[in-house]
Amino acid sequence: MKSVKSTITKLSLVVVAMYGFSYALVPIYDTFCEITGLNGKTNEVAYTGSDIEKENRFIKIKFISNVANSAPLYFEPAVTEMVVQVGKPYNTHYVMKNNSTKQLHTTASPSVTPGKFAEYFKKIECFCFNQQTIDSGEVKDLGIQFVVDNDLPTNIGDIVLSYTMFDITNKVVEADKL
Amino acid sequence: MSTNIDHIKEEHHHQPSGLMRWITTTNHKDIGSLYLWFSLLMFFIGGFMALIIRAELFQPGLQLVVPGFFNQMTTMHALIMIFGALMPAFVGLANWQLPMMIGAPDMALPRLNNWSFWILPFAFTMLLSTLFFESGGPAAGWTLYPPLSLQGGNSMPFVIFSLHLLGASSILGAINVIATILNMRAPGMTLMKMPIFVWTWLITAFLLIAAMPVLAGAITMLLTDRFYGTSFFTAAGGGDPVLFQHIFWFFGHPEVYILILPAFGIISTIIPAFSRKKLFGYDSMVYATASIALLSFIVWAHHMFTVGMPLAGEIFFMFTTMLIAVPTGVKVFNWVATMWRGSMTFETPMLFSLAFIILFTIGGFSGLMLAITPADFQYHDTYFVVAHFHYVLVPGAIFAVIAAVYYWLPKWTGKMYNETLGKVHFWMTTVFVNITFFPMHFVGLAGMPRRIPDYAVQFTDFNMIASIGAFGFGLSQLLFVYILFQTLRQPVTAADKSWEGAEGLEWTLPSPAPYHSFDTPPKVD
Repeated sequence: MKSVKSTITKLSLVVVAMYGFSYALVPIYDTFCEITGLNGKTNEVAYTGSDIEKENRFIKIKFISNVANSAPLYFEPAVTEMVVQVGKPYNTHYVMKNNSTKQLHTTASPSVTPGKFAEYFKKIECFCFNQQTIDSGEVKDLGIQFVVDNDLPTNIGDIVLSYTMFDITNKVVEADKL
Repeated sequence: MSTNIDHIKEEHHHQPSGLMRWITTTNHKDIGSLYLWFSLLMFFIGGFMALIIRAELFQPGLQLVVPGFFNQMTTMHALIMIFGALMPAFVGLANWQLPMMIGAPDMALPRLNNWSFWILPFAFTMLLSTLFFESGGPAAGWTLYPPLSLQGGNSMPFVIFSLHLLGASSILGAINVIATILNMRAPGMTLMKMPIFVWTWLITAFLLIAAMPVLAGAITMLLTDRFYGTSFFTAAGGGDPVLFQHIFWFFGHPEVYILILPAFGIISTIIPAFSRKKLFGYDSMVYATASIALLSFIVWAHHMFTVGMPLAGEIFFMFTTMLIAVPTGVKVFNWVATMWRGSMTFETPMLFSLAFIILFTIGGFSGLMLAITPADFQYHDTYFVVAHFHYVLVPGAIFAVIAAVYYWLPKWTGKMYNETLGKVHFWMTTVFVNITFFPMHFVGLAGMPRRIPDYAVQFTDFNMIASIGAFGFGLSQLLFVYILFQTLRQPVTAADKSWEGAEGLEWTLPSPAPYHSFDTPPKVD
C-alpha cells in the first residue's frame, strides 16, 4: 500500500498547485494584458518619463464617460473631442456633480479604445489615480494631463478615452469602521 | 496487499444492516449504487426544472412564472444536471465497474469513497434550499459571471459553498480512481491492456484533479469580492470581470470533457460487444482520449469570442478548438470501423450506443460551427448554443449512462430487464430528444437569445415543438424508472456472461456480482 500513499501524495500536490494556479492567473492575466496592451488598460501610475518627442502629426482624441450602476452622479467630459499633436502634453478635465443628499466617495476606471493603442496614451496626471470625495451638491473639475507617445503607429484613426465612475461610498465607509 | 484483503473479509462479518449499512458502507458496489440512485433522483429534479422552463416557453409572453424565477430555473437546471446528475452517474459507474474490470477487490481508498458520496446529499440540500429563500436561488446562470452574480441575493454564498463541497467530492473521487487504477490492477494487466472504460476514467480523473481546484479558486475570488472587499472582478476596485470568464472557462472546458470522456469509454465498450468484434484501433482510442484531454486546457476562450479579444487570440482559440475535431473524429471512425462487417445485434444498450454516435456527432458538428470565430458572433448566446450543448450532453453523455445501465444491469442485479420495454424506452427517448433539441438549432440561427422567459412571436412554432418534445422526453424517463423496478422484482436468471459478445473481467464473475469480488487477483495474459 506504499505505492497508493505516494500516489495520493502526488495527486494532492497537483490539487494544491492547481488551486494556486487559479490565483496565479490573476497576475498572469494583468501582465499579459500589459505586455500585449490588450484590454485597453492604460497606465495605472503617472507617466514620468521624458523620452517622448514632439512630432508633426495630429490625432483626434474623443472623451466619453459612464456612471456605473446608476449612481446619483453627473459625470461628463468638459470637451468631448480634442485634436492633439503627437508628443505634446495637453490638459483637459471632466466635470462631476453629486446629485445625492449625502457625501459620496468615488473612483474612476479608465479604458482606451482601440485597446492595442492604450500603451501609447500616457497619463501624466489623472484623477483616476486617486479616489474622490464629493459633498452633496458639490461640483468638481477632475483634471487629466496626457501625452500621446510618438511611437504610435501611423495607420490609426481616432482614439477614444472612456472613464467609468463608480460610487464606492459603502466600501469606504465599511473600511473606516474596521 | 494480503493484509488488506483479510481486513475486508473480516469486515464482512460485522456489517450493519438497514440504513446504517448504506451510511457506513465502504464497499465499492454499495457506493456505486448510492451514486447511481442519487444521480437518478437529481436527473428528475433537474428535469422537472427543465420542464418548468419549457412550459413557460411554450408560447411567447409570460404565462407561468416570473422572469426572476425563470432565471433561477435555468441556473439551477444546469448546476443540478452537471454536478448532480451526470458527474455522480459516471462516478457511480466507475465505482461499480473499475474494481471488477481491473480485477481488484475494491477501490484503493474505501473510506474516502464513502465520504466522497455522502458529501453530495448535503451539498445539494444546501444548493436546493436557496430556492426557498426570500431572495430566491442563484439566477445569474451556472457560469456565475460577475458583475451579475455579485449582485444576486443571499443565495450566492450558499451556492458557492455547495460548489466547493461538490468540487471536494469530485477531487476525492478522482484521487481514489487514479490510486485504484495505478496500483490495484491484476497481475499481467499492463496499462495498454486495460479496458477502454478504465482508460477514459483514468484520464477523466486527471482532468478533474487539474480543473476542479481552478473552479474552487474562481468562486472563492467571487466570494471574497462580495464579502471581504477584494477586487478580483470588481471594476470599481481595478478588477476585471473578463478575468473571471477566463478563469471559469479554464475550468469549464476541461469540465465538458469530464462529462463526455467516460461516455466515450462506455460506447467503446458496448459497440464491440454487440458487433462481436474487438474494438477497432484500441491504441488510437487511448491516444485520442489523452489528446482531447490535453487540448481541453488550451481552448477555453472559444466560450468568450465576443468579449473583445485581440485577433491573434481569436485565431489561436479558433484553430485549437477545431483541432479537437481530429482526435474526436478518430474515435467516431473507430466506432464505425468496429461495427464494419461485425455480427451486429440491436439490444437496448447497443441502440442507445448507436444513437449516441449519430447524435453526438451532430452535436460535434454544431460545435465546429461555433468554433468558427466570425460565425460565432452570430451564434453566441443564442438557442443554437443551447441546441449544441444539449446534443452533446443529452443524447451524448446521458444516452451513454443509460446504455451503461442497461448493459451492466444483469451483472449488477443478476436480473435481465424486459427487452421489449427497453426498446420502447429507446425509441421514445430518441424521438423526443430530437423533437426537443433539433428545433432549437433553427430558432437559434434565426436569432432567439438563450436564457429569456419571453421571445418574439416568430419563434413560437419551433418553441412549441421543443416544449412538446421536452414533456415527451421527461415522461419517457418514467418508463426507464419502471423498467428498473420491474427488473429488480425479477428472479435471478442472468448468465454470468450476460451478453454473447461481452468481454472483460467483470463477466468472469457470477451474476449478480458477489459483494466482495476478486479477493484473489485474477491472472491476465
